[in-house]
Amino acid sequence: MKALKAEDVSDALRHSRGARVDEDVVPKFTTGERVLTRNLHPVGHTRLPRYVRARHGTIRCDYGVFIFPDAHGMGEGKKPQHLYSVCFTAQELWGPGASAHDRIYLDLWDDYLDPA
Amino acid sequence: MSEHHDHDAPLPETVLRVKALESLLTEKGLVDPEALDKLIDTYENKVGPRNGARVVARAWVDDAYRQRLLADATAAIAEFGFMGRQSEHMVVVENTPEQHNMVVCTLCSCYPWAVLGLPPVWYKSAPYRARAVMDPRGVLGEFGVTLDDDVEIRVWDSTAEIRYLVLPRRPEGTDGMDEEALAGLVTRDSMIGVGLAKARGDG
Amino acid sequence: MNGAHDLGGMHGLGPIDREIDEPVFHAEWERRCFAITVAAGFLGQWNIDMSRYARERMHPAEYLNTSYYEHWLHGLQTLLVEKGLLTEEEIAARMLELAEEQET
Repeated sequence: MKALKAEDVSDALRHSRGARVDEDVVPKFTTGERVLTRNLHPVGHTRLPRYVRARHGTIRCDYGVFIFPDAHGMGEGKKPQHLYSVCFTAQELWGPGASAHDRIYLDLWDDYLDPA
Repeated sequence: MSEHHDHDAPLPETVLRVKALESLLTEKGLVDPEALDKLIDTYENKVGPRNGARVVARAWVDDAYRQRLLADATAAIAEFGFMGRQSEHMVVVENTPEQHNMVVCTLCSCYPWAVLGLPPVWYKSAPYRARAVMDPRGVLGEFGVTLDDDVEIRVWDSTAEIRYLVLPRRPEGTDGMDEEALAGLVTRDSMIGVGLAKARGDG
Repeated sequence: MNGAHDLGGMHGLGPIDREIDEPVFHAEWERRCFAITVAAGFLGQWNIDMSRYARERMHPAEYLNTSYYEHWLHGLQTLLVEKGLLTEEEIAARMLELAEEQET
């Protein structure tokens, strides 16, 4: 285990690998599909906020295959899977008193979603 | 237990703890003092919202660039040499007369470092993170922005490693301004989506 | 986890407190905290998801009552100790030494 050297800082910052995984994984969902987020309450790490659990949304796009934080953050490997931009209406999340126009977009993985 | 405090009065324990960790890590050869200084210098002085402003100004004057930016933001932003940590997967979302975009990270403070630098305190703090997804219009009001009722607000909660940059609308009356001058109108807040670009002649 | 960090939709947190033209870092300790956290991350002992999880595990009352870099500091110490790079005892001992030096 060696310390990062000053001369390597610039490269290390600029060429970070990111979270995309070069692996062929079959996506569960397609653009335009309606989904229902799962009612998960893991005690470990998750990127599925409480305000968006058990809610109906629509797949805006498929970003491809990425590291899954719920596993990766717990030392359980990358568990690569598709990551989607999912659209929720404000009323779906916050009730009938919310804006009729506004939308909230979250980036959610296959394991957070079921077909609606 | 820490108490609430302002930035002018650092808690002795916090300052001591940072010094203790830095000195132990340095002694054990796990961090290099020159590398630490380089990291600080990079984000304090070298990388900041002026990067994103250049990207926006280019998109305003060059429609082919704008299309590349919307199709593959990571590659288009990399044309300027802006890339890397916390900006490996970029998406640009464009404001139009019908749509206004706002970016938040409710769960922590994810932010596109390579184009905007490190985030301001308010972006990382509880009130913004709580309200941006629930009351974007109210948040905009606090920032002095009023949109027509029929404008659709799109709030992007950065739950993954995708980093969002808002392409604000080009202000009226800026025809003929060069790219550098246009970049001067692009504020950090307009690229987060809590503000609009400055009008020509605004201080 | 259902921690205090999961803030979307929470009420009662008050207005968004903005500082115009704020500096990137507000104090020297913030600079150092930022740098040692990023540098230690390059040792390859944890990934970014683990570092977020370490911050999330702060007690909710403490999380809501402390600043961003205090969250980073908590997370860093958690990771350094869990991964066996430092011990709680040596950190406490060093803090005591430094405090005594300051007084002299």
